[in-house]
Amino acid sequence: MIDDMDELVTSAVTTLFDTMLGMKMVKVPVQPEFIDSERHIAGVVGFIGKLNGVVYIYTTQKFGQRITSILLGLGASEATTGEMVNDAMGEMANMLVGTMKSRLMDRGIACVLTIPSVVRGSHFSVEAISTTEGHVFSYEAEGNRIFVQFLVKPGS
Amino acid sequence: MGPKILTVDDSRTIRMIVTRAFKGFACEIFEASDGVEGLTVAGRERPDIILLDLTMPVMDGAEMLSKLKADPELRAIPVVMLTAESGRENVLRIAKLGVRDYLVKPFKEELIVERVGRIVDLKAKNEATTRVKRFDDPLQVLVVDDKPVIVDQIQAALTGLPWTVQGAAQAGQAVDSCSQAVPDIVLISLSLPESSGFILFQMLRASVRTKAIPIIGLSVKNATEEQTRAQQLGFSAIVTKPIDLIDLQLKITRALNLDTSYKYFQYRDGVLVLLLPTSFNQAVASDVTTHLRTKVSEAVDAGLNHLVMDMSQIKAADVILIRLGIDVIQLCAELGVKHALVGSDAVCRECKNYAETKDWQFSDSITEALENLNGKTPATI
Repeated sequence: MIDDMDELVTSAVTTLFDTMLGMKMVKVPVQPEFIDSERHIAGVVGFIGKLNGVVYIYTTQKFGQRITSILLGLGASEATTGEMVNDAMGEMANMLVGTMKSRLMDRGIACVLTIPSVVRGSHFSVEAISTTEGHVFSYEAEGNRIFVQFLVKPGS
Repeated sequence: MGPKILTVDDSRTIRMIVTRAFKGFACEIFEASDGVEGLTVAGRERPDIILLDLTMPVMDGAEMLSKLKADPELRAIPVVMLTAESGRENVLRIAKLGVRDYLVKPFKEELIVERVGRIVDLKAKNEATTRVKRFDDPLQVLVVDDKPVIVDQIQAALTGLPWTVQGAAQAGQAVDSCSQAVPDIVLISLSLPESSGFILFQMLRASVRTKAIPIIGLSVKNATEEQTRAQQLGFSAIVTKPIDLIDLQLKITRALNLDTSYKYFQYRDGVLVLLLPTSFNQAVASDVTTHLRTKVSEAVDAGLNHLVMDMSQIKAADVILIRLGIDVIQLCAELGVKHALVGSDAVCRECKNYAETKDWQFSDSITEALENLNGKTPATI
């Protein structure tokens, strides 16, 4: 469906983290046990059009808090509230999918984005159903890991 | 207060990032979380610029923009669109909406400041409140010249001052240097290849961070064409090569409006002392004249009405010294300040030879002058 999915996602992830957080994300092999380790937070944005799908960017809640702190320029003593982390992770997902969508649009694959949402919890996994193509990528920076999961199927 | 900036975005994160980006600038930030709220705040606050998200609930950016443009009172407010979507079609659509500029998320804070700074006049918060720098304060001087010997000469010329001179051989290197730390002043060779000195000048002027930095051109004396071009562009001054130490320091002092008054004006025993240095010349006289009225007025305001003009270090009385002396005496008379003069033997002797100065009476030392003034025995003119 998308031949260069790996490059598309990796380019969007590295640009996003470098620009907004000054963090150099490096692609690493996916390790499923990560999902079972601790509490997680996932920013979620969907897209509808010639392609339909949803993108999850998830990480540990601890790293989610760190992303929020850097994004908002908070000092070490300034606490992040759950709402702040939700908003930051939602916006990270929005920017990530927006970047990917722009490149798809340039190829004539028109679609619109849904509003961002956030999933919190532990020991959960997102799985594609049989009619949907699923891709998972993992990246690491400063010893922290994120997953980007891309579920997609042809649209209208 | 500076310009009013309205950020309209449903993401609190983006609004906080925008607010933080302008933290160092004298401006007011207003926030709205959707188009409806954005129109309300715009109507109430009349912002100088609006940063508008495209995709928002309740009323999106496109609808808010069309309503804004339909309102005769708000239509002139420039709008910069913030969008997470940068595809060609999207860019064209945004352009058609009548926005002044657009920024694609993710974006760096510096970029948003840069773009907004092109539309409204942004001033650093400390620009207005920082105390005037003194000549002996630490300064960062960036010299952009492809000839290392010039950088070395300037470094040598400024030895003895707490000024740090950094060299850059090319315009690109200078831009990198400015992005890491903004210097207090930049000296650019006007003879850099391919007019890159002039291009660098325009780049520095176009950037919010560097637009207020004084820029001095370095040029060979007879290169009048490039000097004229530099003056037309707005260089603060031109220093000609070979570089004259006094000329360089004077032009940097003037460009940065450095306070040099401490070198000449001091307070002793409740008396303002004007101390003229051994190296007295026209440049020093001009410098003294620049501060004279302010310093004497300050003294009067502080309840001090005595002044001693100390010329004991000067080797000869010339027309420059006499003119300054007359100015000082006239100002003292105007402001009701009693004065006394102290001169070297040569100055005392030579002053007897001129009609304007033959009646000047000199004390032998500052101590004697202070005693005369404080002892209610003012020196006569």
